[in-house]
Amino acid sequence: MKEVISTVKEVKLIADNVYSLTVTLPEPVGEVRGGQFLNISTGDSSRLLKRPFGIVKAEGCDVTVCFQVKGGGTLALADARVGDKLSVLLPLGNGFILSENAKNIVVIGGGVGIFPLVPVICGNKDKKFYTYIGFRNKGCACLLDEFEKSEKFTVVTDDGSIGEKDNAVNAYLKDRENVRADMIIACGPPVMLRALKTQLKDKGITTPCLVSLEERMGCGIGACLVCVCGKTDGSRARVCKDGPVFDINEVEL
Amino acid sequence: MANLGVKICGVSFKNPVIAASGTYGFGREFDEIYDISAIGGISTKGMTNLPRLGNPVPRIAEAHGVILNAVGLQNPGVEHFIKDDLPFLKEKGIVIIANVAGSTLEDYGKICARLDGLVDMVELNISCPNVRAGGMALGIKPENIEEVTALSKSNLKKTPLIVKLSPNVESIPTNARAAERGGADCISLVNTFTGMVIDLERRRPIIANNTGGVSGAGIKPIALRMVYEASHAVEIPVIGMGGIMTGRDALEFMTAGAKAVQVGTANFADVNAMPRIIREMDDWLTSHGISDVNEIIDTLKLN
Repeated sequence: MKEVISTVKEVKLIADNVYSLTVTLPEPVGEVRGGQFLNISTGDSSRLLKRPFGIVKAEGCDVTVCFQVKGGGTLALADARVGDKLSVLLPLGNGFILSENAKNIVVIGGGVGIFPLVPVICGNKDKKFYTYIGFRNKGCACLLDEFEKSEKFTVVTDDGSIGEKDNAVNAYLKDRENVRADMIIACGPPVMLRALKTQLKDKGITTPCLVSLEERMGCGIGACLVCVCGKTDGSRARVCKDGPVFDINEVEL
Repeated sequence: MANLGVKICGVSFKNPVIAASGTYGFGREFDEIYDISAIGGISTKGMTNLPRLGNPVPRIAEAHGVILNAVGLQNPGVEHFIKDDLPFLKEKGIVIIANVAGSTLEDYGKICARLDGLVDMVELNISCPNVRAGGMALGIKPENIEEVTALSKSNLKKTPLIVKLSPNVESIPTNARAAERGGADCISLVNTFTGMVIDLERRRPIIANNTGGVSGAGIKPIALRMVYEASHAVEIPVIGMGGIMTGRDALEFMTAGAKAVQVGTANFADVNAMPRIIREMDDWLTSHGISDVNEIIDTLKLN
């Protein structure tokens, strides 16, 4: 984990209100596991908090994140210019740890929750990925080329403007007889993760399942106890430090 | 290089920069980034006798130049601290200030008695604005401040007592004097200002608790005024905080009368804020031909 001053290399619009931001670090990024995230300053000094984003790509000295513009901080980042200096703290969190003997991995992603799943697919060439991604509509769809690297890739939308009119969890459940999953990984809005947990339980599916959570963060390193989630044993976990990836059965969704 | 060492209530700090409670945990996470033995001291995450789960999320929001938090004193309890975190901090050779909170007067007495002699100083959190049961009530009225201070002090035979004042009050000098009368060895201020950040689209406050404590660069001018008032109202030493982001900010608090400072929100904006602030203080002092930071304390000349 290190904090460095990065230089903005590229900012581009990749879907409605969704941007891809690539920054160059003064040194190689180093080892990053899919599902890990970084904390980046917005470039607006009146905003004291860095913004946490899942790392989409880390190559040489370059690191890419994608984000939806939600407020002033993400708007400032979308307006960043090539050459701007932004402070970056990385890599943070645990990421998706895939067990060695899990060969067939089901990937379920929804909306802007798809981003941390990309490096998992791209970084584990020895595994086969069966990917189910859902977007609100065609305008929200992005990074489809990256997911095409999966053994099998299904995209659905809420309105049917791409793929079937469905959601990602259902798309997997409908197809599950055709996939012998050793493990499921998922990231998406809370409603999607809740549906996944309920469906797995109702259908008696015991395949190990990891989910990546999102929460408003303070320090990003586990010190401030701002971004907690409830655990099923009644305790609290820090999303930034103990997560953001958790066993679906260990967290309250 | 200037001397940055200060002494407060007989406790020696290698430099006057202390991590503010709630922003630095028990130091372990920051120690993964830099050796925390570089800082002057740590005021721990606020502790209670028993573990607390804290408030629902979201617990944080941001506004211009400030943040707002309502963590609600989530902490593992004092016994966990003594067993797991205290030995780690002792090895670091920094001043260990145990920040303690309670819901009742008795809670304060009990936790002080437990920590007496184990830590370098105890800091009473009587101003945490997020715990409906007690925090705020005890820290507002001078008679309550005097009472909780006296009770805590009577349970501390060996360890000096700091009382951390809330800024959400009628008179800082009155409350500072109340803490002094109660037997406080030192005062720290300011805790956070109660505030609200609203999401207009949803017409709801952003944080689950609705209100939270405002901290960060934007509160510095108010904090400076309050630290000046407090340090000129009492004889006991004052530790200042509120929006310190740079070495210059820290030195401004010291000219206003603070013997040391605490740094909180800056740790979020820049994980290396504390070692940087220490370096910047040294640079400023050296460039101004001042060989000892103690020479700058309480040197403010009013117009």
